[in-house]
Amino acid sequence: MRVLLVEDEKRLADNVATALRDGPGFAVDCAADGEIGAYYATGRCYDAIILDLMLPRLSGLLLLKKLRSDGDLTPVMILTAQGETHSVIELLNAGADDYLSKPFDLGELIARTKALIRRGKGAAHPQLKVGDLEVNTLEQTVYRAGRLIELSPMEYRILEYLIHRPRVTVSKRELLEHLYDYNWEHHSNVIEAHVSNLRKKLDAASDQPGIATLRGRGYRLIGDRESAV
Amino acid sequence: MNQPAAEAQSTLPGSHSLRSTPGSGSGSRQPPRTQSITRKLIGTVLLVELVAALCVSGTALFYERHAHFRAFDVMLHGRADSILGAVQDAGDPQDHVMLDKTELKTPPEDVYEVRDESGSEVGRSANWQGAPAAVFAHQDDGFERLRIRGAHYRLLRLHGVRVVDPGDKGGGVPRRVTVVYGSPTARVWGAVREAAEFNGVIDLMLLLITGLVMAWLLNRSLIPLRLLAAEASGVSVNSWRFSPPESALRMRELAPLALALQTVLASLERSFDQQRRFVGDAAHELKTAVAVVKSSLQLLAMRPRTSQEYQAGLDRCEADCGRMEEIVYKMLTLARVDGGQPATQSPAATDLAGCARQVADQFESMATLRRVRIALSLAEPLMVRVAPQECMLLLSNLVLNALQHSYPESQVTITALPRFEHAELTVEDRGDGIDAAALPHVFERFYRGDASRDRSTGGTGLGLAICKAIVDQAAGSIEIESTLDAGTTVRVRLSLASTCPGADQLESSVPPED
Repeated sequence: MRVLLVEDEKRLADNVATALRDGPGFAVDCAADGEIGAYYATGRCYDAIILDLMLPRLSGLLLLKKLRSDGDLTPVMILTAQGETHSVIELLNAGADDYLSKPFDLGELIARTKALIRRGKGAAHPQLKVGDLEVNTLEQTVYRAGRLIELSPMEYRILEYLIHRPRVTVSKRELLEHLYDYNWEHHSNVIEAHVSNLRKKLDAASDQPGIATLRGRGYRLIGDRESAV
Repeated sequence: MNQPAAEAQSTLPGSHSLRSTPGSGSGSRQPPRTQSITRKLIGTVLLVELVAALCVSGTALFYERHAHFRAFDVMLHGRADSILGAVQDAGDPQDHVMLDKTELKTPPEDVYEVRDESGSEVGRSANWQGAPAAVFAHQDDGFERLRIRGAHYRLLRLHGVRVVDPGDKGGGVPRRVTVVYGSPTARVWGAVREAAEFNGVIDLMLLLITGLVMAWLLNRSLIPLRLLAAEASGVSVNSWRFSPPESALRMRELAPLALALQTVLASLERSFDQQRRFVGDAAHELKTAVAVVKSSLQLLAMRPRTSQEYQAGLDRCEADCGRMEEIVYKMLTLARVDGGQPATQSPAATDLAGCARQVADQFESMATLRRVRIALSLAEPLMVRVAPQECMLLLSNLVLNALQHSYPESQVTITALPRFEHAELTVEDRGDGIDAAALPHVFERFYRGDASRDRSTGGTGLGLAICKAIVDQAAGSIEIESTLDAGTTVRVRLSLASTCPGADQLESSVPPED
């Protein structure tokens, strides 16, 4: 999962970014002002956007309105120091999905962000299940047919992304866009290697293949009564 | 608490219908006796009208009385003439005359008497005993006043000649007779009184009508004032909207008041808004600063860490706290400068050039670190009416700003020179400059519209706002010129201490409070 954090207070942005990377293992991009944030968001490669309200150049509210008028459906979490009810109502009516007032709890921010991402992808519970595959996004544990499977952080993140989009073909490009932040060199063969390792580990627990590779198109998590292609 | 106010308000509407202003007496314990412009105006007009009516009526009555008495006198003359006509030859050998009453028709209350030249009575009306001899003593015609049976009479004395036997040889014998005819004046006075009564009634009616019409007209013409008062009473801390009614603006007497109210309220609203925004911005800054510290601590506690990691985390937290401290300090500074004494009471005179030299010394090491040279062009001493502490603050803020935005190997120039009656201080840097769009806002509190002056430089967004507050407090001016990627010049003008009125007395007064 990849999150855009638009916050002009550098120290706060650093802390939140570190917490999101360390905790749920998200890729995080930081934008120091509204215009940079708007520019980053045009790529549509984020699973959630965390937005400060008082920003230089382009305020959080205007950025939010711009996103929504452009048809961007990415869940948006607002960080605000203005606790007034009317501004909260205005924010939610402008298309925000959630808000937290400063000073907030880092754990709450992470939990809410995860919930937003989950909801944005149509899942209600942090425990996701496809066929005999089970992913607990809280503990970051993976079970297949009841057996715990040890995954590297990158392998887990790939699986987490795939299981949020079950039975949908996910291209390599999409995986690259949603799992790495701007600072990473985008090499599709890195993804290929990770997916290959992930598939090996998943298949070790079952005789059925877990991930289907559609040549030239991408990857797909195989559900219960499906046969391998 | 609310009781007196409620009482005061409840007594107001019923007190008088012509009340011109609603008048809220809720603030004071004893509401002063309200006075009404309408009532005062009506009273004045009615008084003037009454005096005028009395004068006119008096003159009219005087004339009336005069006219009535003239007519009365003419009537007396006529009657006396008819009496004279009734004097006839008695037919006796002595050629006496007599009064023939058969053809006489005089009102019953009238009196008359006729005497001949010898003074003997020729005839008289039956209702009196005759006129006193003094009445007949005068030789000329004239009027007399007499009281007969308790009533006032006006008597006319008329001399006439009656020729007895004019057909005789020698033209007959002329007999001189004197007629005294009197009539009571009561009727004339009655007529005058009637005229007076009529006048009085008309006057009263006129006064009444004037009063009513005035009340109605005044009530109508005071509507704009009432509307204005109603509009003004609707203004409160939460709702500053004040649009004077059109009718009030059209009135020459009300327009200045309405416009003054509008101006005052607009500027009050502006300053309230500014204050509110400042409080909101300050809350935002402080909450953000707290959020930084809190998130730093929570991040540290997210998982077990090595002692080096903890040490580094604690150091970061301390730095975060330091920043929060700086924000609080600057906000307090701003509050202190804002709440300071007005410029005219500023007690101390400070050497601006000396301050500039001190500040330049203070920043020498920082400038060296950034490879920036500080150049001074000072005319010492340059005394200005700013407290020394504030003067140092102003200069250090400006110089720090200049250093932070200077290019390496460039120069920051500080000049402090007298210019006409002012001291002019300029701080000039060669650096990244300020975006033209952001330039008008740089003195606003917490303004960070320009990315080059945002949090990344460690600024609080209050430095220039503090400078402006100091300069404003000293009744000076501050302006900023900047070209992007070329540099910025801040120019401050302060009045020289020696040109301040009453500088000598102020010199010995107490130093500024901290």
